[in-house]
Amino acid sequence: MNNGNTASTTGARNTATTTDAPSTAHAPSTAHAPGTPGAPRKQRRRRRAAERRPRFAIAVTALFFALLYLPVGVVVLFSFNSQKSLTVFEDVSLRWYTAFLHDDVILDSLGMSLRVSLVAMAGSLVLGVALALGLVRSRSRLGSFAGLVMLVPLITPEIVTGVAAMLLFKGLGITLSTTTVMLAEITFSISYVTVILRSRIAALNPEVEEAAMDLGATRRQALRLVTLPALLPSILASAVLIFALVFDDFVLAYFTTGVDPQPLSVRIYSAIRFGVQPTINAVGTLMLAGSVGLIVLALAIPRLFGRRGGLDLLSGK
Amino acid sequence: MADTKARGPRLWTWLLLPGTLWMTGFLVASLLLVATLALGTTDPLGNPRFGFNPDNLTALADPAYRTVLLRSLGYALITCLICLAVAYPVAYAIALRGGRFKNLLIAAIVVPFFANYLVRMYGWSVVLSDDGPLLRFLRAIGVADDGTKILQTGAGVIAGLVYGFVVFMIIPLYAAMERMDTSLIEAGRDLYGGPLRTFLYVTVPATRQGAAAGCVLVFLPAMGDFVSAQLMGGPDQIMIGNLIQDKFFQGQNWPLGSALTMLLMAVLFLGMLGYLRRTRKDEAEAAR
Repeated sequence: MNNGNTASTTGARNTATTTDAPSTAHAPSTAHAPGTPGAPRKQRRRRRAAERRPRFAIAVTALFFALLYLPVGVVVLFSFNSQKSLTVFEDVSLRWYTAFLHDDVILDSLGMSLRVSLVAMAGSLVLGVALALGLVRSRSRLGSFAGLVMLVPLITPEIVTGVAAMLLFKGLGITLSTTTVMLAEITFSISYVTVILRSRIAALNPEVEEAAMDLGATRRQALRLVTLPALLPSILASAVLIFALVFDDFVLAYFTTGVDPQPLSVRIYSAIRFGVQPTINAVGTLMLAGSVGLIVLALAIPRLFGRRGGLDLLSGK
Repeated sequence: MADTKARGPRLWTWLLLPGTLWMTGFLVASLLLVATLALGTTDPLGNPRFGFNPDNLTALADPAYRTVLLRSLGYALITCLICLAVAYPVAYAIALRGGRFKNLLIAAIVVPFFANYLVRMYGWSVVLSDDGPLLRFLRAIGVADDGTKILQTGAGVIAGLVYGFVVFMIIPLYAAMERMDTSLIEAGRDLYGGPLRTFLYVTVPATRQGAAAGCVLVFLPAMGDFVSAQLMGGPDQIMIGNLIQDKFFQGQNWPLGSALTMLLMAVLFLGMLGYLRRTRKDEAEAAR
């Protein structure tokens, strides 16, 4: 087990260096014109020329980034507009931010969204961390069932989960309220916590835990004193991530919320459906800033702990 | 690996229990409830009643619903294709030419995705609006004329779906390209394959699994979306998500809404089945 682990990590590192190497080594070669094949030197030149910049791909990428940031930029820019227009920028003003600070309905929504996110974060962390540990370590039949159930939210469109949650609450005679949003968001978030932590737990060396038990720790003590501290960066990172996801979630909240208060995204939805309200630009800008801050924090946490790779956000998992 | 069983697995099973119970209680039970209510009826006051009544399922055969379903399928498929067309060059450029900026560039794509979906879509609808920056630019360079519209058309809805979910295509494709052996591309070039031929015969096959995963990740939310059709489209562009939302909120016909939800699930299930069969085949070929 241990040998296998070491081999695979060095393997991964090797491929990383080999994939990195050509791009840096051939970077200066772009200036060379294609040569005729034949002499070794010319052959090398031709080879380098073949490595030339994929201009088309780079152009598409540039255009993609422009279009990716344009809508966000528009929201941020016009949140500082002194006029109501979304096409003509008049003057810099904080008018819409002031309007936001005096809008009790939106402030209530903000408070509710924060509460829901905190509760959903705590609840899904407790359930999700336990579930992830069980999924990796247990070989019981319950484990394979849990593995399947956990996948359901990930392969079901949110509208289906939303409709289902709403029907469940109504069917049980529960009035939709802040609590129902919290319950639905916890359910939805458990899978994310589990997916993020599962690969981390699988990457842990079980022999460290065994060593702790050889030194007299019970399994539970080993879990509490060895495994959980080792997982702490990933747990914190996923906590931040879940907070951001729940805070920004719209569909599930839309189907499970009561009338008053409503979560911030539901409030934004009604506002933009019934015509343009520049206050939404200000709220949107603040939310953007908040999410960006949280994501950067989630990505930075593992580094603060001085460990490599806490969140697998960037490796496609 | 083999010794895991011997090391008293009881604690691990106990840890599984709360999460599994919670998920079963909320998720599995609620999905079963949707399936049951799809067979129910409404009383004259519009309240849902359970029962065994195939009316809602036969109602789904109505041509109006079929049109909406086919439109949703079409929009979602076109969205997948456009996402592929955008994500391949972007992932390729970043994975192979990103150098030390790779992670930064990928983070720059992921971060705006975490911004509120509604705020992003709202900003996008402003960009695409009749006197928004995009159409003004296109008119200035003579590509579009005064009557050209993006909002209130199918193209607008698809643009919304692409903007909403393209990141789900880029990430798996990028991961696949990172794993790809780049010497294959060099080999293709050495064999005098042009950039396009090398891309089609070397890069695409080597990253096929990433592309397939991306298609699933884009197709699922695109099929269920109702925000894009609402903000970017008009009454002739509604998708199945809008129908479901309407039956639960404005229309107050929950059994019919449940039946539509089941229809959506069935379509997605068939899609997933196709994807799983495809990947199994790929794995079997790879094992050979």
